[in-house]
Amino acid sequence: MDFAFLADTMGQLLAVTPLTLALWFSAISIGGVISCFVTWGRVCGVWPIERLAAAYIFVFRGSPLLIQMFLLYYGLSQFIEVRQSIFWPVLRDPFNSAVISLALCTGGYTAEIWRGGLQAVPGREIEAARAIGMSGFTLFRRIIAPNALRQALPAYSTEIVLMMKSTALASLVTVWEVTGVAQRIISHTYRTFEVFICAALIYLVLNFIIIRLLVLLEHRISPHLRVRPTVTPGAPPAYAAGPIQLPEVPK
Amino acid sequence: MSGLSALGFGEGGWGGLLLLGSLMTLAVTLTALAIGAVIGALVAWGKLATNWLPRLLGDAYTTVFRGVPELLIIYLIYFGGSRGVSWVGSLFGAHGFIGLPAFAAGAIGVGLISASYQAEVYRGSFLAVSAGEIEAARAIGMSRWLRFRRIVAPQVMRFSLPGLGNVWQLSLKDSALISVTGLAELMRNSQVAAGSTRLYFTFYIAGGALYLILTTLSDRVFGAAEKRVAKSFRSGLGRG
Amino acid sequence: MTETPALSVVGIHKAYAGVEVLKGISLDAQEGDVISILGASGSGKSTFLRCINLLEIPDAGTVTVAGETIAMRAKRGGGQEPADRGQVDRIRTELGMVFQSFNLWSHMTILQNVIEGPVHVLHRPKAECVAEAEALLDKVGIADKRNFYPAHLSGGQQQRAAIARALAMRPKVMLFDEPTSALDPELVGEVLRVLRALAEEGRTMLVVTHEMGFARTVSNRVVFLNEGVVDADGTPDAVFGGGGSERFRQFVSGLHA
Repeated sequence: MDFAFLADTMGQLLAVTPLTLALWFSAISIGGVISCFVTWGRVCGVWPIERLAAAYIFVFRGSPLLIQMFLLYYGLSQFIEVRQSIFWPVLRDPFNSAVISLALCTGGYTAEIWRGGLQAVPGREIEAARAIGMSGFTLFRRIIAPNALRQALPAYSTEIVLMMKSTALASLVTVWEVTGVAQRIISHTYRTFEVFICAALIYLVLNFIIIRLLVLLEHRISPHLRVRPTVTPGAPPAYAAGPIQLPEVPK
Repeated sequence: MSGLSALGFGEGGWGGLLLLGSLMTLAVTLTALAIGAVIGALVAWGKLATNWLPRLLGDAYTTVFRGVPELLIIYLIYFGGSRGVSWVGSLFGAHGFIGLPAFAAGAIGVGLISASYQAEVYRGSFLAVSAGEIEAARAIGMSRWLRFRRIVAPQVMRFSLPGLGNVWQLSLKDSALISVTGLAELMRNSQVAAGSTRLYFTFYIAGGALYLILTTLSDRVFGAAEKRVAKSFRSGLGRG
Repeated sequence: MTETPALSVVGIHKAYAGVEVLKGISLDAQEGDVISILGASGSGKSTFLRCINLLEIPDAGTVTVAGETIAMRAKRGGGQEPADRGQVDRIRTELGMVFQSFNLWSHMTILQNVIEGPVHVLHRPKAECVAEAEALLDKVGIADKRNFYPAHLSGGQQQRAAIARALAMRPKVMLFDEPTSALDPELVGEVLRVLRALAEEGRTMLVVTHEMGFARTVSNRVVFLNEGVVDADGTPDAVFGGGGSERFRQFVSGLHA
């Protein structure tokens, strides 16, 4: 065990870990916004928009992320119109290109996850809300969305972790993040196993932290799934102070 | 040359290469899935064991192979595997670097990854087999092996079908990463064609379209298979 | 009686997949009426109730609540649809509905369930809604459970919470869709007691039910639906005491078999 080599490798990899995190965080943030629009389009009820959203999801879930990344980075740069457009300074940077690609891809997968969550909302609870005169955005905001988000959280957690792994592909469009630097060290020193262990360790620790945070979040937003509480003795409730006048039976 | 003729099959056309790449993609994915099935079954068996050691090993396996980027694993198998093969060769007197064949490296890499997902599928399917049916088999005196062969295994395979469909799709897309080994599958061939003609957009769109065709066809095949299997259940895939 | 009925339903027709389930049902409910709606499974009684607050849209017929008729307009391809969704929402706030499977919102506590409508639909001040909600929960007997989630309560407790939720909207008419059918037998009594208390208060109630005892002793009117039409309609004594049709007697005896 060459500890000096391991330490040196670890140092190099840790130096670029913030870049991996930046890729990951930017991708899930932008991808999250994209997915909201795509999901909305998918269930909005206007047929052409629904078809368009379904096509988006189909394309980004049915093809490998790598080819999507190459298409964006190499494919677009092929066109003189793109190179002369105002977007070029943004697009020519490998980091930006990788983030956009990752965001578009996770947008598609996450849109499907939200749709699954929406479909899992019990119809009975929506009906009860309708029966008291709730509709439109209030209905969505108070009843549908909270329920759908809770149901979607496990699948969304999986997707976020998958995104962390996907950032490794950015190394193939010349972004020097953890996997890219690891590969460079391997190709110079041929010490595959040691470098692999260092790089793998970094990803495993990052994933562990993310999963712990997500479990905490899941726990906090589902008090209704936890163990039944006991009635706590304490200050008597307001009504116990005396009979409250209920309004008259409406005439 | 124009984009369209570059895709063709004639002189200077790359269409044929892309189609061959598709076939290679299918071949390497099938092989990977087969390797993954064997290892996945082993890992599932470990995770279902009563002893803590196999359970720990099984959990460690799935944690590593679901947490580490696929690209890193493929680098490990390809470069590390080549070193291993060279080392074994040196024991027999061969000199220099012997590369692990790209197909093998790719299939093993994707196979090991798919094994961790397949293990979860098999584990879930096994737990879904009704305890009552196993009990009935024990009551008529079936041996453990016979029970497994006649009652448990067939049910596990039928329950696993939807999950395996997902793993297949996943592995099909992961196979694009094997391109880093130089194997002439669809991604690599698209890359080569794009680089040769400088028609990057054309060939990555074409490659992407071919992948979409592959995933759609796979969807149809698995859907049909699930329908055939579902006929034996009272209400879809469940306990009726 | 020349007063405006609390609820007036005229000529409700409803068909599913070509099969007509409701073939023209009309019903008037005066204030304080407690009407039990009986009928065999499939006779359309739940469908009829759900047509009143437009959870199902009747193919023909009108609903009038406290003198205000829900405006309908003809729909392409036959049937009708509400002309003003805002009016539908508003009238729904005046009709309280209690469902067979309670339909409480699982991500909210009981108290939050009860104040949801008053705060977010009626826009009343929250403190006032909370005070009234606690009083209502006390009235139905589950005040100490107000911070519990529905999943932690028994069926009977959940249904009583659902009744409190409907009452919180201060509805003019209450609609009960088989309120005890999903409950274990020993829990039915506690819910029926609440229904009885509400009836004695003078509330206007329509109750679709299989509970013959309730129909005979608490309601002041019994309506029997058979094959999509009103087969009997009168006081419990009249309908149960031999004045009902042959089919009604068969129905009742079938239940006691």
